[in-house]
Amino acid sequence: MKRKAQKETKEQEQGNIRKELAIMKLSPRTALFLLAIIIIVSISEGATGRMKVCKLNLPKTIGVWTRPDSPRVINSENIFDYMNGAGELYLGYCFNHLEVYEYTADDEKSILVELYYMKTSDDAFGLLSLDWGGEHVFFSDSPANTANQSLTSSTRALYGAGLLRIWSDNLYSRAMAFRETPASKQAVLTLGKAIAANRKSPPEPELLKILPLHIGSAWKLRKDRLSFFRSYLVLNSIYYLSHENILDLDLSTEAVMAPYEHISSASDRTRSQFLLVKYENHERARKALNHFQDAYLPEHQKEFTAASAAKSPSLFKLEDGWLAYKLVNKYIAIVFECPDQESARIIIQENESNLLKNGGYHER
Amino acid sequence: MKDKKPVLTRRDFVRGTIAATIGTSILGLKWPKAEAKALGSSLVTIVRDKNAMDSSKNVDATILKKMLEQTLTKFTGQKNTKDAWLSLVKPNDMIGLVPTPHLNPTHDEVVDSVKSSLVDAGIPRKSIKLAQGGPHKPKDCTALIALPALKAHWLTGIGTVLKIYILYSGNPSRYHESNSSKLGEIWNLPFVKGKTRLVLVDSLYPLCDKGPQPDPRYKWAYNGLIAGTDPVAVETVCLKIITEKRKAIRGEPWPLSPPPICVEAADKVYGLGTSRMKEIKIEHYGWEQDILV
Repeated sequence: MKRKAQKETKEQEQGNIRKELAIMKLSPRTALFLLAIIIIVSISEGATGRMKVCKLNLPKTIGVWTRPDSPRVINSENIFDYMNGAGELYLGYCFNHLEVYEYTADDEKSILVELYYMKTSDDAFGLLSLDWGGEHVFFSDSPANTANQSLTSSTRALYGAGLLRIWSDNLYSRAMAFRETPASKQAVLTLGKAIAANRKSPPEPELLKILPLHIGSAWKLRKDRLSFFRSYLVLNSIYYLSHENILDLDLSTEAVMAPYEHISSASDRTRSQFLLVKYENHERARKALNHFQDAYLPEHQKEFTAASAAKSPSLFKLEDGWLAYKLVNKYIAIVFECPDQESARIIIQENESNLLKNGGYHER
Repeated sequence: MKDKKPVLTRRDFVRGTIAATIGTSILGLKWPKAEAKALGSSLVTIVRDKNAMDSSKNVDATILKKMLEQTLTKFTGQKNTKDAWLSLVKPNDMIGLVPTPHLNPTHDEVVDSVKSSLVDAGIPRKSIKLAQGGPHKPKDCTALIALPALKAHWLTGIGTVLKIYILYSGNPSRYHESNSSKLGEIWNLPFVKGKTRLVLVDSLYPLCDKGPQPDPRYKWAYNGLIAGTDPVAVETVCLKIITEKRKAIRGEPWPLSPPPICVEAADKVYGLGTSRMKEIKIEHYGWEQDILV
């Protein structure tokens, strides 16, 4: 489907170019020459844009392991051949392509290096954010350049049991030794350093700046559990909501799931789940909330209108606690599993307040 | 609004109304119409040996062979492996072995051990084949032995027993999203139904987090073989082990997400077996430490 659409777009572009040349009234010979150049350039751009291999300076040999000269290149069309249903994860983010190198050695299990080139740094961050567990790894002496309020500090790489996961600008990488030994760990960490070398360190997604670290004196954000995503499949792998896409999530949306933990209840760890979704515009956000209300709260009346959101959050007592939501321009804020009405209200209101401080009110 | 199909949500899971909602929303039934099973309790055996793998996670084939023998005799109540196999399959059966191909695949040693054991029991080598793959694979088999590896799965919650035949559907991606609850229907396809003679789960080195790609932090040496003929009961025991391991890792409940609704649906909608622990008789032998059930 995608290939067909690309072909059609290309044909349309070429048609437009022909029309423009006709309007310019160039001589047929000149026009033909220009047209040929434009077609060659556009075709070669299309080809390299799809299958371009990015040059990372990965060592050819590391310890006893050696990689092939060129990587296996995977794109969105053949990703399922490479990893079956796991491909859905990467296509749930803005995925460009994947390069795979296998470092092999005669008497050791291999080291697999996967370089996921995403379309934005936020998407690479999102993949790392799905699991903050592991040993924090820093590849330079100075911490990464981070924004004023950096929720995940300067964490850009995590290591555990042979697997190193890295967020480096628009690149998400997994380097995995199939058998962890001191030598393979050293090799994986050295590869990580090579992967991250000379790459930018953009800040975390803007959406994270909205999240207050504390809500009053009762709730604190579990930074080690927050995740950034765009797809309902990914949401379900973090916090199951529905097997249907009841929040109309897609690649144009940005979402963060952030648990807040009750400070005074360290023993029973009361936790509420806060979800913030940013849509392309207010109308899409409103429709999505409408869909959510119909699917998730079918027995409750809608408490928002097309024109504007209610001043207070809408509150519902459900089987697993209190749920509150609020439509704020092109954002939807929802909190699940609150122990009481007041907690649900304040978690929404504090986040809304931060959203407005960050300019969310004026975004349409 | 009256005719609107209900959407399966977290609330169904919390309320315990999954099967009813699946019945009405996915299958279009007023209530699940699973075939009544005239069974008592379903037996599931767990055989473990602390030394089944060495510190580098290499499988000890000799120990594995003994574990398989113990599994077969304890499960069937027969005196020896030959009689055990012949109580499960017929000498003239064409037997398909179905291992897990991806994401924590079944150990080759397990497949080889089962094959050797069948041959030792008098089954001709030519009557045993690997039957993982598309719908054509099981068609010429008269008996199937499911050999899944124990693992969680990021789209279906658990990806062990019920998912093992997904390629037989000819359209595996169809079962990865909202329809993962329908995995049980594959077991009822005409060329699959009734052929499974044994489910033997490779639980030597399971994966307790969902992936989608293997993360070695979530693999551990359980060193076990889990067996039964009720696929849902075996899956339920596997689910219990994974759930308990996740809880042990985090020190707090760490539920699988999405929840493995295919298990309850396989019981209540497709009638493949029981997902109720009280109807499952678990017998365990060998290494007891951290058995998790």
